[in-house]
Amino acid sequence: MTKSLAAEPAGLGRVMSPSGTDYSRALAVRERRFATALLAPAFLALMATTTFPLLYLIWTSVHRMDLAMPFADGFVGFDNYRELLQDSRFWASLAVSLIYTGTTVVLQVVIGLALALLVMGMKRGQGLFRSIAILPVVLSPAVVGMVWRTFMLAPEFGIVDYFAIMAGLGSQNWLGDPTLALVSVVVIHTWQWTPFAFMVLLASLAALPDDIYEAARIDRASAWQRFKRITLPLLRPAIVMVIIMRTMVALTAFAAIFTVTGGGPGTATEILNLYAYRKSFTELSIGYGSALAVALLIVTVLISAVLFAVRRAR
Amino acid sequence: MIGKRFRIAAVIGISLVFLLAWVFPIVWSVMNSLKTEQDVLAYPPKFLFAPTLAAYRDVLFGSGSILPNLLSSFIISIGTTIVTMIMAVPAAYALARLRVPGKRFAGFYVLATQMLPPVGIIIPYFLILRNIGWMDTYQGIILIYLSFSLPFAIWLLVSYFEDIPFEMEEAAYIDGASRWKTLWRIIIPQVRGGIAVTVVFVFLNAWNEFLFAVVLSGNTVRPVTIAMFNFVSVEQTLWTKLAAVSVLAMLPVIVLGIVAQKHIVKGLTVGAVKGGGRR
Repeated sequence: MTKSLAAEPAGLGRVMSPSGTDYSRALAVRERRFATALLAPAFLALMATTTFPLLYLIWTSVHRMDLAMPFADGFVGFDNYRELLQDSRFWASLAVSLIYTGTTVVLQVVIGLALALLVMGMKRGQGLFRSIAILPVVLSPAVVGMVWRTFMLAPEFGIVDYFAIMAGLGSQNWLGDPTLALVSVVVIHTWQWTPFAFMVLLASLAALPDDIYEAARIDRASAWQRFKRITLPLLRPAIVMVIIMRTMVALTAFAAIFTVTGGGPGTATEILNLYAYRKSFTELSIGYGSALAVALLIVTVLISAVLFAVRRAR
Repeated sequence: MIGKRFRIAAVIGISLVFLLAWVFPIVWSVMNSLKTEQDVLAYPPKFLFAPTLAAYRDVLFGSGSILPNLLSSFIISIGTTIVTMIMAVPAAYALARLRVPGKRFAGFYVLATQMLPPVGIIIPYFLILRNIGWMDTYQGIILIYLSFSLPFAIWLLVSYFEDIPFEMEEAAYIDGASRWKTLWRIIIPQVRGGIAVTVVFVFLNAWNEFLFAVVLSGNTVRPVTIAMFNFVSVEQTLWTKLAAVSVLAMLPVIVLGIVAQKHIVKGLTVGAVKGGGRR
């Protein structure tokens, strides 16, 4: 995992002096002190902004904490978690999270890989693709969501709806119909982040050695065989990396769905992340919201553990 | 021969579809921001029209101007970038070049912090800030932005520090320069490029952040991504103004994205090459 760090670099102390002498030991101590001074601010800040909130989150998750009714607050043990297991809205939001994550990641990787292969074979226009692909990726998901919600998908006004009418499909309530709303948020996420998969896979493709392909061509391997036997195995680490990164992001996506549907209609697009937010900051049940956030963390860790295991295999 | 021509046509066709799909929502926003209130509501939608800057004049200088919100976005992003870099550059140098006990664990810790779902950080953080009276303050929001900008910056910078040769440092020590002086005078100039790239991405991520901003925003801290909601309500949407605000919110990050174009893959996948990753 942290390969470059694990391989003990030629530390300065070792380079500078013969080992075993008092002088080198003194140097090592000085180096350690220097390193501690350099690392301390960043690590203190990280602990204050991540580790401490996490511990606090676990603490609030075993409490009843309701900003609307603070007089009833108190320690409740695992009650929030027990409630969570019986909460159909929790299971529904978990299902939406998994559907949203699964479909967006698969779409991004499949389209991204197909486009990367296509562009790789192009003699001209590669630069144009690379430049254009950057645009969606650098935008704020909140702004992207807002643009899609209004100028793209608003009934009768949005351009997508206009094309749907032109195509004879009729005006659709893209964000008001539960199924269409889920499809819409999946499409928006895929629109914004497929360029990411595309750029990473294109860079990996460009780094593959040419001579293997030469050999395959001489052996008269078909294009499909070349793809399946050579490209795919060589690209596997990059593909797995893209899958891991995109999965982590999709699981905790927030801004785009929040701006586009707010989780609605009803709870049709309410992913677990959004449910935890709504419970905590709209319904003001901080304790229960914390339990939901912990559940989300557990799901994230479990899924990433599986993905990292896949990555290590072979 | 026909087969080959057909294939070229197909490649061009597919390419155009995807390029258009990626550009269109952005271009369409720009076009709508340049329309009049009548043109924007025209049906069928107008692709040709007499452009006007009226919407920009209104959102920038009219009542309810979003200039304070743009300023707010800049203060948050620049503040986050400065604080992040001050902490991340020394830490990354130590992780990349010095012998530190528990370094492996430290590297793992930085990666693991990125796994925490943002909503899991904001709930306790909201309670803490409420208690110490830091809601709706710049110090509050910049502090929480460190939770994602620091791990990102440290990892990106480590990759740049690892690229510089050791000989430079050795020569400086032999000359009797102190460690601080060496770091400041010899090492940091070597990674200027890497630092610039990191600055771009930290700024970009801070500009685009939304969840923390939603919870912590108020009358003082109100970035443009939050303020754009002023233009959509249940009763009506102020189409041209909303388009103008969206374009203004996109502009800085698109400029930065183009500036850092060559480094974007590295910036997007940093840390992932070694472990986890975010965004």
